[in-house]
Amino acid sequence: MSSIGTGYDLSVSTYSPDGRLFQVEYANKAVEAAGVAVGIRCSDGIVLGVERLLHSKLLVKGGNRRIQSVDEHVGLATAGLLADGKHLATRLRDEAYNFRDTYNAPATVQILSDRLSGYVQAYTCYGSVRPFGVSSLVAGVDKTGPRLFCVEPSGVFYGYRACAIGKGKALAKTELEKLIAKEADGGEAITCREAIDEIARIIYLVHDDNKDKDFELEMTWVSTETGGKHRAVPGELQAEAEAKAKAALEEGMEED
Amino acid sequence: MNHHPAAWGQPLTAHQQFDMYSTNPMGMSAPRSAHSHGPVQNTQWPLVTGTSVIGIKYEGGVMLAADNLASYGSLARFRDIERLHALGTHTILGVAGDMSDFQYLKKELDGLLREEETLTLTDAHPPLSPNNLYTFLANLFYARRNKINPLWNACLVGGWDFKKDESFLGYVDLLGTTYTAPTLATGFGAHIAQPLLREAYEAKAGVDLEGRPGADGRLLTAEEAEAVIDDCMKVLYYRDARSINKYQVARVTKDGVSISESKSSETEWMYAEGLRGYGGQTQ
Amino acid sequence: MFRNSYDSDNTTFSPQGKLHQVEYALEAVKQGSAAIGLRSKTHAVLLTLKRSTGELATYQKKLIRIDDHVGIAIAGLTSDARVLSNSMRQQAMQSRMLYGRPIPVARIVQTIADKAQNNTQIYGRRPYGVGFLVIGEDETGPHLYEFSPSGTAFEYYAHSIGARSQSAKTYLEKNFESFETSDLPALINHGLSALADTLQQDKHLTTLNTSIAIIGPASAEIEQASSGAARRGYFRVWENDDIDGLLRSWRRSRGEPEDGPQEETAAEAEVAAAGEEAAAAAPAPVAETEQAAGGDDVEMQ
Repeated sequence: MSSIGTGYDLSVSTYSPDGRLFQVEYANKAVEAAGVAVGIRCSDGIVLGVERLLHSKLLVKGGNRRIQSVDEHVGLATAGLLADGKHLATRLRDEAYNFRDTYNAPATVQILSDRLSGYVQAYTCYGSVRPFGVSSLVAGVDKTGPRLFCVEPSGVFYGYRACAIGKGKALAKTELEKLIAKEADGGEAITCREAIDEIARIIYLVHDDNKDKDFELEMTWVSTETGGKHRAVPGELQAEAEAKAKAALEEGMEED
Repeated sequence: MNHHPAAWGQPLTAHQQFDMYSTNPMGMSAPRSAHSHGPVQNTQWPLVTGTSVIGIKYEGGVMLAADNLASYGSLARFRDIERLHALGTHTILGVAGDMSDFQYLKKELDGLLREEETLTLTDAHPPLSPNNLYTFLANLFYARRNKINPLWNACLVGGWDFKKDESFLGYVDLLGTTYTAPTLATGFGAHIAQPLLREAYEAKAGVDLEGRPGADGRLLTAEEAEAVIDDCMKVLYYRDARSINKYQVARVTKDGVSISESKSSETEWMYAEGLRGYGGQTQ
Repeated sequence: MFRNSYDSDNTTFSPQGKLHQVEYALEAVKQGSAAIGLRSKTHAVLLTLKRSTGELATYQKKLIRIDDHVGIAIAGLTSDARVLSNSMRQQAMQSRMLYGRPIPVARIVQTIADKAQNNTQIYGRRPYGVGFLVIGEDETGPHLYEFSPSGTAFEYYAHSIGARSQSAKTYLEKNFESFETSDLPALINHGLSALADTLQQDKHLTTLNTSIAIIGPASAEIEQASSGAARRGYFRVWENDDIDGLLRSWRRSRGEPEDGPQEETAAEAEVAAAGEEAAAAAPAPVAETEQAAGGDDVEMQ
């Protein structure tokens, strides 16, 4: 990379001669090393899924979850440095609490994403800190309906119909584009139950058994079925989705 | 002029008579200082108030009741106020005293529970138990009273304690005073309802049961408990001038919290021709 | 002077998105002597290998009680461990004071993980140089967590940290599936076997260098009834003479001579005497004593 050794890439408070902030770009590299996280905005809620890579087989099964709750109705899936992800969740929880305190109403997902992006952006301004090595999917259902946002290490955030972050996000995104094609043409979005199957399928597809470590699938949702609350996807539902995903994967291999 | 309900019917002080509408000097308020106003003062009295909350343990649960009135002094100002508030799935909070402090308490506790709930996804830890919430409330009340800025309430906390597999009932008030008992009542209810509740409770589950018919050491059934509660609420309505005949009953069992619709007691207001036991009758 | 230009402070990402200063802090953990943690359905245990700076000094403690239901084993900078364990004790007491609730184990671990994360993001600070194994029991049962300077806390069935801990990990990975249903004596024997795998050639587990902590119901078979903590199932530490029985039954279970390696006995006796003397006098400040010939760093335990 041309940036290396130039000295323009050692601090977030230094631009390179062509106007880039290399430290922010390097923070993105930390994101790209993490297991993929996928979010879909559905007609009746949102679904989040992550590929939780296991660095040891001694880890407790089903533990060490990577998707966190921010408020009753909002979930946060992060990809990148795990500890930074916890930091951002704590911060976002404080924002949600603070908003309720001030306005006596739950914060919308957009407002929370906006607050989070402001916080993340501040860490790209000063040489005394480093940027967050994390991209976040902020998803939930509020008074405006189901919402999904992605906040990147630079502090930019966009709303999405569906989004993927982390390792293999490119492949995941092409799959997601197929999924939302109908919605993009003005049709109905898929339902949460459909999205659960699709996210499982996509994560199993993106995972490379030969190159990557073992993984556990982790999924949460906010839907009419959870009463608008952010909850783990029930075990049976997830097991079903995983079985379908594995079957689809084998089918795909036979075709190859 | 002092419009505070506590000052109603009181003669005006000399100072108040001199400048009743604070017109002198016109348009100016005196500068605040410890010298001119004395030391900083916080809440000195409650304003909009709720009256008694009562509670009793029964077989498989605990029951709380409170009426729907929030008084402004002696004025029956707000007549559809709910003073029983569910805290999570297995705790109920009943509050007497200042209603704005109660609203603050609700906000605080709901915020705490929501925060706990968000952490549960990560660590699968069960929520705060009735006991935990009661301890928290006691600390909160005591800390505020030590700041000479009390929350002007008396509360009952009822709940189901899964660790001990039995119901929980506790009292805490503005001084941070705490106690637990199988029957409890706040304020005027402590004088009027508590004896009735105790009598009913002791008759079945008391310590000295010998020779009492129907006493088997077991707690009251839910139906029996509700009958006593209804009776107490009626007597309180008759005797307590800050009550109305409209109240709710909450139950907590293993299965969770339920709060009833508002209900009323059958009352009798005819001339008490045959009433004996008061005054100087001899027969 | 530096290995590369991206490793001189913690606020600089490398072009690969790594934080070299954090990775070097993880190396500090490996300088400390080994600590092993295991858990079953009913118990969680810690086993550690203690170091001594020499014959004049006692062995440095590696097990710290946080609360009745939580305790830790440390590997790395001892002074950093003291800062973090003090913070944990405060958290634990606050939970008891405010809610009357023993703090959930996952949450107390997360509080120090969050502290550690902060130190990886702010210029002028350094990441903590110590790793913990945390055992605890709460409403969701017994737990074992690993805390590391990178600011993460993972839950494990069994885990090892510190010097030569990879050998222990190999043993644990081979055997961990049976831990869940093991009774306490079996769990401890597995732990001792894993711990023994971290020893240097011709070193052995002795009553002086081994210490064990347990959370969960006491086992009359192996624990002294006089311990109140044991009777209540609280965090307790066994070391010195108190683990003689445990070591013996472990050796028995492996078909080795119960008294341990013979040639070791005489040497150990000498060290034991020296250790007792040092303990009897006011314990010498550890930092001022000479480092052991073996190169053990006193700050790294």
